[in-house]
Amino acid sequence: MVIEIIDIFLSGLLMGGIYALIAVGLSMQYGVARVLNVSHGEFIMLGAFFTWSLYTYCNINPLLTLVICGPVMLLIGFVLHKTLYRSIRISSGGGAAFEGNSMLASFGLLFVIQNMAILIWGASIKGYSYLAFPVNMGGVIFPANRLVTLLFAVIISVAFYLFLARTRLGKAIRAAAQDPDAAGLMGVNINQVLALCFGLGAMMAGLAGTLLSMSFRVQPTMGLEYTLIAIIVVVLGGLGSIPGSFIGGFILGLIGSIVSAIEPSLSLVAYYMLFMILLLVKPTGILGR
Amino acid sequence: MLELNNINAFYGKVQSLWDLSLKVEEAEIVALVGANGAGKTTLLNTICGLMSPASGSVSFLGRRIDGLTPHSIVEMGLSHIPESGRVFPDMTVRENLEMGAYPYHAWKMKEETLKQVFQIFPRLEEREGQLARTLSGGEKQMLAMGRGLMSRPRLCMFDEPSYGLAPKLVLEVFRIVNSLREHGITVLLVEQNVRHTLEIADRAYVLENGRMVLEGSGAELLQSDYVKKAYLGL
Ligand SMILES: Nc1ncnc2c1ncn2[C@@H]1O[C@H](COP(=O)(O)OP(=O)(O)OP(=O)(O)O)[C@@H](O)[C@H]1O
Ligand SMILES: [Mg+2]
Repeated sequence: MVIEIIDIFLSGLLMGGIYALIAVGLSMQYGVARVLNVSHGEFIMLGAFFTWSLYTYCNINPLLTLVICGPVMLLIGFVLHKTLYRSIRISSGGGAAFEGNSMLASFGLLFVIQNMAILIWGASIKGYSYLAFPVNMGGVIFPANRLVTLLFAVIISVAFYLFLARTRLGKAIRAAAQDPDAAGLMGVNINQVLALCFGLGAMMAGLAGTLLSMSFRVQPTMGLEYTLIAIIVVVLGGLGSIPGSFIGGFILGLIGSIVSAIEPSLSLVAYYMLFMILLLVKPTGILGR
Repeated sequence: MLELNNINAFYGKVQSLWDLSLKVEEAEIVALVGANGAGKTTLLNTICGLMSPASGSVSFLGRRIDGLTPHSIVEMGLSHIPESGRVFPDMTVRENLEMGAYPYHAWKMKEETLKQVFQIFPRLEEREGQLARTLSGGEKQMLAMGRGLMSRPRLCMFDEPSYGLAPKLVLEVFRIVNSLREHGITVLLVEQNVRHTLEIADRAYVLENGRMVLEGSGAELLQSDYVKKAYLGL
């Protein structure tokens, strides 16, 4: 019994680390840049395939890939915002029209990226084995790669939090999230910061993809599920709250592992239930206002 | 120092500023007064880059700034303290002030500037670690003013800094604005508190329905029948 509880708790944390990471990423894109990026999961998928390819064809260590994947995704996200979303922002004149149009555009992006991935890598499921040896944690056995995933998810999130809390640029991002016009009056280049936030979101997704690929199978259609989870976590944690997204990720991970211990097929259903209840009871989320 | 020539500005199809011209010389305090909806905020927003004029020119220190973005205008030394302060609610008082020093030239000197700002607003130093959302209305306004000074501006624009404050604080705000002269800061002040404003202003403009109707020294306008009747209730 005790071992079962430890098992559920640890699996919840392990999944929660990934959820936290992808939710923090979406939080940057939606909370600051105001793009509800429904193709968020596609960036996770890209990160996963990128890592798989480098491992399979070039024998590059996935943990090393983190250092390559992060900046590449950051750049892709940044350029995407500077081109696509910026022109949508200009043509829709900001505000609610921009939120609607940019979401539609990211739907388009979802299909484009997914089909590109199918063309490049094929539709079949892929995987590789890295650090797959078992580790005994108080009687519960986990593959080492799951623990490494959790460790890196926490390191990345904490580093990111410190970046936002302590650095000049991090403060500019927070200011822009709270009041973009006032941030502009302080000397913050808003266009640059919004693009950077979108890029940082893509970077988080890419890093999550790299970590996921170490312990899960990858395929071109894997993204959507993660996008939905990220949206749920962002709402759960409170829109625009980075610590909220981080904590919310772990909460959702734990709920998922408790529910799947009872009935594995019900975990997604449980997420939606939670989402609906939340929207009815506390739409601002746990740390939102 | 600041010069506006024949500015016309619109909200959509509605014209809100009509052929406005205005001048602020170095080391002056210039006031802009007018009733609600006259276009005072619109004018300041057009100067600081939040809006761009449909026609006409704005120059600062001899350079055209109309069409530039707000961040490049503040980097040139023109600081705008917007209507109702607009402090960052989820940042502490200190973080708000640091944001004011965001331009590189100011960031390098931010500890030094912070000391000076704390001298002007001792209250902010006491509340350094407090979240801005929990400040009182008066404290928020002080924070907005302090934050606006953190960029070490040559010219400061204030949009109704005394709005909603208790009489004692109103006097304090005017005293502080007046004291900026000693720091070599030029001021463009928008206010509804016409008497106090004209008392400290070197020159003033009166704006009505988006048009400039009167211009003169503070003392002249205080004496003018028009201002007495329309704004001082005499
Ligand atoms: N965002 C906007 N969209 C459309 N019209 C606007 C907008 N902002 C202001 N206006 C209009 O422009 C005119 C000038 O407004 P402005 O805010 O500049 O006045 P003000 O002189 O600052 O008034 P107050 O003393 O009340 O602050 C008003 O008629 C106002 O209704
Ligand atoms: Mg106004």
